[in-house]
Amino acid sequence: MTSSRQWLTGAARALPFFYAAIVIVLVWEVVVLLTKPDPSILPPPLEVAWTFGHLASDGELAVHTAYSVARVFSAWLLSAVIAIPLGLLMGNSRSLERIINPFVELLRPISPLAWIPMAILWFGIGESGKVFVVFIGTFFPILLSTIAGAKGVDPVLLHAGQVFGCTTRLSLFRRVVVPAALPNIVVGLRVAFGTGWAAIIAAELVAAHSGLGYLIANGMDILRADQVLVGMIAIGVLGFLFDTFFRYLQAHYGRAAR
Amino acid sequence: MNARATTGKPLSISGLTKTYDTRTGERVDALGPVSIEVAAGEFLVVVGPSGCGKSTLLQILAGFMKPTDGGASVAGEPIVDPSLDRSMIFQSYALFPWLSVLDNVQFGLRSKSIPREEQRSIALQHLQLVGLQDFADKSIDELSGGMKQRVAIARAFAVNPSILLMDEPFGALDALTRRFLQRELLRIWQERQRTVVFITHSVTEAIYLADRILVMSSRPGQIRKEWRLDSPRPRDLNADEHRQLETEIYSLLDEEVTKTFTWTS
Repeated sequence: MTSSRQWLTGAARALPFFYAAIVIVLVWEVVVLLTKPDPSILPPPLEVAWTFGHLASDGELAVHTAYSVARVFSAWLLSAVIAIPLGLLMGNSRSLERIINPFVELLRPISPLAWIPMAILWFGIGESGKVFVVFIGTFFPILLSTIAGAKGVDPVLLHAGQVFGCTTRLSLFRRVVVPAALPNIVVGLRVAFGTGWAAIIAAELVAAHSGLGYLIANGMDILRADQVLVGMIAIGVLGFLFDTFFRYLQAHYGRAAR
Repeated sequence: MNARATTGKPLSISGLTKTYDTRTGERVDALGPVSIEVAAGEFLVVVGPSGCGKSTLLQILAGFMKPTDGGASVAGEPIVDPSLDRSMIFQSYALFPWLSVLDNVQFGLRSKSIPREEQRSIALQHLQLVGLQDFADKSIDELSGGMKQRVAIARAFAVNPSILLMDEPFGALDALTRRFLQRELLRIWQERQRTVVFITHSVTEAIYLADRILVMSSRPGQIRKEWRLDSPRPRDLNADEHRQLETEIYSLLDEEVTKTFTWTS
């Protein structure tokens, strides 16, 4: 009873996205029918679906997807491991924030994409260069939202923590500051995964032999617009699924801080 | 003064003052000098106009803030830091939203060297005291304001403090919930007999609850006058003596509030 109702509300929530997808495909089809473009510039939806099925069944799509996801995931994890503790400390120590914040503010406006050439010069086109680019893209969102979370803890909760047994700064930090900042941290992790996902595609477009970005760039080189579109669709769908997953985490574990 | 058995301790405040430096470099005298002797188990209510420093007084008693001059002590021990022995109930409840109702009540017990099982049973016992035993596993977001404050009361009593500090605890609640919680608080206090320092804007609340009422002046807050109440509880606020007291306190407060408004001209 409950589970079927849950399934129904889930389906109802997915409905607007199916609607949008269908409209996009219809408009696409109409444009193809009216303008009759060369298939190497804009193939019809059915042809792209055919290519999608082909790339999916021979495993090529899965391999490229796995490469991209693995790169984003490892860089994102590395960012989290460094940015979350650093952000918590910066949010709690004015002097540490004063020392580190100027670096953050100077480096943050440089888009991760602008780091791609330096990453190639330093790391070549191996895995470490791409992880570096995604690291740049994921580090700052996590750091900034962690700082905001740690600084934004309601002062009355700090007082309550002190009254109810947090006699040292460390115990107050562990028992009040960290859990109070957690919702903000989860938001940062989610936003960072999105920016990381955008950054890895860009990095793979420029310098890679694998990944969804490479699939697109290769499609362009061999004039296979259908392959480019398959890559784009995979990027969009996966990005959407990741974001949905993080929203779910946020709703369950990141109870809104007040 | 009172023959009731008590586990509270006496609280002594002597020559307490607090002066702030504002951003513009001005010195503002917020409080004092204030000297108060609170007997063990006494229910003291402090009433005063907004900005008279009564919250500052409570912050110093809690140990969040150092006085500029003078000091306070509990049974001879000077107050320097926050302590489980001086429990607190806040106007905005100050419950931890990431913990369940039971874990909130248990929070203060975690730093005591009591086995986990016993902590849990003490916390449950105190939820029962405020009538929320069936809500132990609920999350804080699911509770109404009145229920949240009952959880906060359970949390405050669970650590077995000798002094309870209450900073306008019912100020954010609707009138009916407020009356209910005032009755509940009295019932629990009569059962447990702790020393209470209770701050409020509400004169009727003060008359309903207090053993003694102190009225503070506008800034810098000093004690203007005090009244001892020995009428039996629960008190009828419509009784003549209470009506008369209410009028007296209001006229004194009106005087003080007027001062804060004419001060600038």
